[in-house]
Amino acid sequence: MRTAIVCAAIAAICALILILGAGDQTGPNAFVVIGISQGAIYGLLAIGLVLVYKGARVFNFAQGEFGTLAAFTLYLFNRQYGLPYWVGVIAAVVITVLIGLAMERVVVRPLLEKPRVTLLVATIAFALLAIGFEFVIFLPELKNLEPIVHGQGITIFTYILDPQHLIIIGVLLALAVILGFFFSRTDLGLAILGTSQDAFATRVVGIGIDRISPFIWGSAAFLGAIAGILYVPTTNLVPGVVTLYVLIPAFTAAVLGGMTSLPGAFVGGVAVGLIQALSQWASGHYSIGDKLLQGYLPDIPDVVLLVALLTILLARPQGLLGTEA
Amino acid sequence: MTDLDVTEPTPPVEAPVDDRPGPSGFSPSPQGWFARVVVLIVIFGGVFWVTASVKGFWAARISLAVIFAIIGLSLNVVLGYLGQLSLGHQAFVGISAFVAAFYVTKSAHCTTDSCSIGSFLIAVVIAALAGAVAAGILGLVALRIRGLYLALITLAYGFVAERSLFEIPALTNGGAGQPAPRPDGFVGDHAFAYLCFIFLAIVLFIDWRLLRSKVGRAILSIKQSDAVAATYGINVTAYKVLAFMMSGLFAGIAGALFAFHETNVVSNNFNFSNSLLWVLMVVVGGLGRRTGVVIGSAFFALFPYLITIYSGFNNFFKDTFHRDPNYITLVIGPLLAVLTIIQFPGGIAEQISPITRWLSGKRFTKHPDGGHATGEPKSGKRGLFKRRSQNGAEPEAAEPSKELVGSTEGSDA
Repeated sequence: MRTAIVCAAIAAICALILILGAGDQTGPNAFVVIGISQGAIYGLLAIGLVLVYKGARVFNFAQGEFGTLAAFTLYLFNRQYGLPYWVGVIAAVVITVLIGLAMERVVVRPLLEKPRVTLLVATIAFALLAIGFEFVIFLPELKNLEPIVHGQGITIFTYILDPQHLIIIGVLLALAVILGFFFSRTDLGLAILGTSQDAFATRVVGIGIDRISPFIWGSAAFLGAIAGILYVPTTNLVPGVVTLYVLIPAFTAAVLGGMTSLPGAFVGGVAVGLIQALSQWASGHYSIGDKLLQGYLPDIPDVVLLVALLTILLARPQGLLGTEA
Repeated sequence: MTDLDVTEPTPPVEAPVDDRPGPSGFSPSPQGWFARVVVLIVIFGGVFWVTASVKGFWAARISLAVIFAIIGLSLNVVLGYLGQLSLGHQAFVGISAFVAAFYVTKSAHCTTDSCSIGSFLIAVVIAALAGAVAAGILGLVALRIRGLYLALITLAYGFVAERSLFEIPALTNGGAGQPAPRPDGFVGDHAFAYLCFIFLAIVLFIDWRLLRSKVGRAILSIKQSDAVAATYGINVTAYKVLAFMMSGLFAGIAGALFAFHETNVVSNNFNFSNSLLWVLMVVVGGLGRRTGVVIGSAFFALFPYLITIYSGFNNFFKDTFHRDPNYITLVIGPLLAVLTIIQFPGGIAEQISPITRWLSGKRFTKHPDGGHATGEPKSGKRGLFKRRSQNGAEPEAAEPSKELVGSTEGSDA
């Protein structure tokens, strides 16, 4: 119910901006489209973050690196070895999931009963390790990944939305629905939720954390791989690209959505994308004196993002759609 | 020792070390003290001898290592003593570096030819205060938001500083950078390295006195539990903000020295992977233990260069992998951190603890109380599967010193 209200509110705000900016070439309309398509990418990574948080109560700083590793694997198979694209995608997903499982076994499991911040530092170390290996193997050079489909794309308000963005939005919607169903209706999903709330009590009723934990991190790697494969073709492939450009907005999206809510991650992603795109537009559109806003303060979208994150955490720590589970 | 001792809270390792004769009544003989003093002189003398005898390039690297050590001590205040994770330390270091550079070039009108030592000192003080204020703001936020969520905020804070604040053209000269000429008499790399050592000594002294005082005990107790500290009448609000400001003060000193070390500050020096690496170097050094932190930080600052000394390794790496050997350092740091967290919690400090304990006038032993089975955990290997104790209680419950960071759950309550 709350999901519907929040979605309707965001849609209403978008509609209002679009109506106000209608017919204005320099208006914010194109930025609304940019915001939604960027926000979908944030939401895609945020879903993986939410899954890990639901399952293990930790922020997974390596989530972005799952994406970058998958993108590099795809690059290796598709561009360097010349294999078909779909083979590369399958190999990328499989290898990333294996890396995720290895990470669970070697890094996460010894720390399951340690304070969560210890585990957080461990995921940071793992992410930096992955970035280091990317530097060693692929060198810090700009690379490009082919998009899944080449096509014209559709033009909305002077902004050309290419097919890759449409696929991202579709995949994200589908994942939010499937995972929402998984966590509320299936035994395994409920077992994961139980483990995250009280590991000892779930062990008493016969659910071993040793069984659940690999599943959580394997699925997180799977979701991260999908996010990376879909996102990287829209930009350049450099070591750590997903961590650098998507991880913080994705965390903000997840926190905005409530950190435990899968539809919340989706809604939060779109909201964060919109906030960033509109502040980008505003900083290049309005001026104080004879200088544009961005002449005074560069990179206003990131400042707005920090303010948004602070406001959410101080005013409503459970987020827009957060629940106890 | 009865079984009851297990349930009693054991003092954290960071707590002030008691130098009075311990329960074993051990006190070194005059010859023992003499040996300890000789070893200390050899260690410190060795460091200065190396600094004095190396070429300028290496002297500059050594001053960078000293600056890293100060940054490590700064992070250690927040992470080791207070138990909160700061991923945005590049913000404090960067802000104070720019403040110092801005002061000497714009207000003190220093040029590369002349810059008085007085304006240098004023710049360091102003930069330290700027760092304290910048960190104090974050400390106010930390009153409401803790643990994982605070880590997230600090990460975003660092990002904003890096991408937005440090790019303001009026303050930082955009991409050209803000020049920061070194003071007269310390222009050479060797002289500047000695200057850095002096500041490290000052920071170490402040850190030592801070931890030994009421303030230090209050901060350490807040790490264990906010609520319990408050019931003992400790002003949690004030001491939390104070700890952050202390950390910012050290970061400010480090930032100012970094500015003069580089002699031209550009925003690129303060990117976010640096601040993550700083966290790792403190973890590898050993949280809450200043000797380990200094060694770990210096190691992280130096090993990218040390690794290139040995040309055999260089050539092997180039011929076999066709890669610049510098890239391997990007892997080694995080690898060490992962190993430290999983296998050797306590870091370098734990490994060298017999030596540091011996130097401070105790017996040469792994165990602080002469081998009694107290809260001091065994640092043997744990293997990948951690053994759970028989009654299902968490083994960590009786050994808070082993925790990397105190019990800091998120603010999702």
